[in-house]
Amino acid sequence: MLAMRHISKVFRTDLIETHALRDFSLEVAEGEFVAVTGPSGSGKTTFLNVAGLLEGFDSGTYLLDGVDTSGLADDARSRLRNEKIGFIFQSFNLIPDLDIFDNVDVPLRYRRMKAAERRERIASALDLVGLASRAHHLPSQLSGGQQQRVAIARAIAGDPKFLLADEPTGNLDSLMARQVMDLLEQINEMGTTIVLVTHDPELARRAQRNVQIVDGQVSDFRPYEPHARPAPMAAAATA
Amino acid sequence: MNVQEIRPILSALLRNRTGAVLVALQVAIALAVLVNAVYVVKQRVDKIGRPTGIDVENIFVVTSAGFGAGYDHSATVRDDLAWLRGLPGVRAAALSSGVPLSGGGSSNTVYKTPEVKGEGTPVNYFLVDEQGVDALGTRLVAGRAFRADEILPEDPTYHEPMPSMIVTRALARALFGTDDAVGKVGYDGLGRPITVIGVIDHMQGSWVDWDKLDYVGLLPRRAFGPRATYLVRTAPGQRDALMKLAEGHLSASNPKRMIQHVRALDYYRDRSYRSDRNMAIFLVVVTVLLACVTALGIFALATFNVSVRTRQIGTRRAVGARRADVVRYFMVENWLITTAGVLLGAALALAVGYSLSRAYQLPRLDLYYLVGGVVALWALGQAAAWQPARRAARISPAVATRTV
Ligand SMILES: Nc1ncnc2c1ncn2[C@@H]1O[C@H](COP(=O)(O)OP(=O)(O)O)[C@@H](O)[C@H]1O
Ligand SMILES: [Mg+2]
Repeated sequence: MLAMRHISKVFRTDLIETHALRDFSLEVAEGEFVAVTGPSGSGKTTFLNVAGLLEGFDSGTYLLDGVDTSGLADDARSRLRNEKIGFIFQSFNLIPDLDIFDNVDVPLRYRRMKAAERRERIASALDLVGLASRAHHLPSQLSGGQQQRVAIARAIAGDPKFLLADEPTGNLDSLMARQVMDLLEQINEMGTTIVLVTHDPELARRAQRNVQIVDGQVSDFRPYEPHARPAPMAAAATA
Repeated sequence: MNVQEIRPILSALLRNRTGAVLVALQVAIALAVLVNAVYVVKQRVDKIGRPTGIDVENIFVVTSAGFGAGYDHSATVRDDLAWLRGLPGVRAAALSSGVPLSGGGSSNTVYKTPEVKGEGTPVNYFLVDEQGVDALGTRLVAGRAFRADEILPEDPTYHEPMPSMIVTRALARALFGTDDAVGKVGYDGLGRPITVIGVIDHMQGSWVDWDKLDYVGLLPRRAFGPRATYLVRTAPGQRDALMKLAEGHLSASNPKRMIQHVRALDYYRDRSYRSDRNMAIFLVVVTVLLACVTALGIFALATFNVSVRTRQIGTRRAVGARRADVVRYFMVENWLITTAGVLLGAALALAVGYSLSRAYQLPRLDLYYLVGGVVALWALGQAAAWQPARRAARISPAVATRTV
């Protein structure tokens, strides 16, 4: 599980201070699938970055799988990212000069895993996302949806506890978006905890729980209700 | 570092190779030029640094030219030498027909038999007086120096016989096949005998580019006028003061002659080696510039690669790369580029070395220089890539999620 309490995160530039997260508290239980929504600029990415140890925070506490993350050295944070967290990005972030196989291999190599085991894991991850036959293609030879599936394969190949996805369907058309969502659900069913940031209320509704962030704070917990009407999020999203 | 680790770095590099190929070519050219330049410089430095066998630092040379009616050469030389030899701090002063290491001098051919057959041995000779050996600061290893009573009078015809000679060991070996040459007899071009009365350890003659530079013979005769050349050897540290003194006195002592030069012997030596030294300096400058340009090229490529890969580096960090892994990535990549350049450069260096040795009769490139050059360029490459690699390692993993 993932537990943030009273987290605050401030970005300071020469001109302004932005309180991206303020007194931010949220817990995600093991095995949950949480969708995070909120207006643009409300702090969703910042929350995900802090959760994924991509950046630090100014005050509060954050326990990741029982480990207090404040005061961890950079190498220890790298290691936690590598072992416990899979990240999925809006713009896929595949390495353009590496083929699909090598892209999925990247986090495994940082784990100093033996070649045979890496090969096995890459094969099964690519299998799961349905791209085993494309192992030796370059990212540029794949469609956006396929690239995002490769990125998912990369995120899960190391068998992390948490999958953090920042608008993973933001650059995809709705058919591809649904395929990606199907895949995430499938991965969640296998036991991986997922936090998904999305703009799309339809996708958000497929999660077990929706969290809305407004102005750097959690504004609204709503347990998943299969037939609930769309929340007034559309209005929030354009605010 | 292992092959496993290198493979993905290499395949990414090969997919994006334009800059890398250019830098590798630069490294190759740098290696080829550097290795050969350093080798040539080493040869020049060795050449300049050869032992002269002469006490160069403590010798100065006076040239005097008599003119006008009533100039008495013998008397002038007698008075000059007497005065020079009487100076406190002067070890020896001799009249000589030439200045060693100066680029000017005389040579003749000495034969092994009176029949004057075959090749003969070239001898760079100096006509000196009884203080010649001492004034040069050469070391006599066998026999004796000339006595005052055996110094022959001036001979402007170059035709008089030469009964005795002092030779360098190198000349003794060339003439007689042994250093132990005292009492041995060589023959001049007319078959007249010349007996060796002394052997000096070593002495360089007139022409620094001559391969028989140490085939030197000293002959007991007064050099003829109206020009006179004196070699003056002083106690250590007193040369410059004595030169001033000599110049002042000799310029005024005799109105019928002119003191042309009073110069240190190292002036002549340095003048003879000027082109060697200039070549060495030029090559060192070229080499240093080339190394700088190459380092700059490597640095620029690494910097460029870091900046175009900001997002990729952030992503790698996000999926678990430590800072050290990022540094390592760029160092390995740089090492691969440098290695490609170095391999090509080694072939190029050998080819350049071979053609240089053919064209200029230089000894063939020593492989140690190639090994040294390869190591130097590897180090240069790693040093040049270090700063960009460190900069890459400071890229935050958060750039992976921030839309650029
Ligand atoms: N690196 C940064 N430097 C300065 N301000 C930032 C930085 N990252 C985010 N912010 C600011 O923090 C706030 C929250 O941003 P973000 O978390 O990206 O929002 P969201 O993902 O919900 O659109 C915004 O006002 C944004 O401008
Ligand atoms: Mg965002």
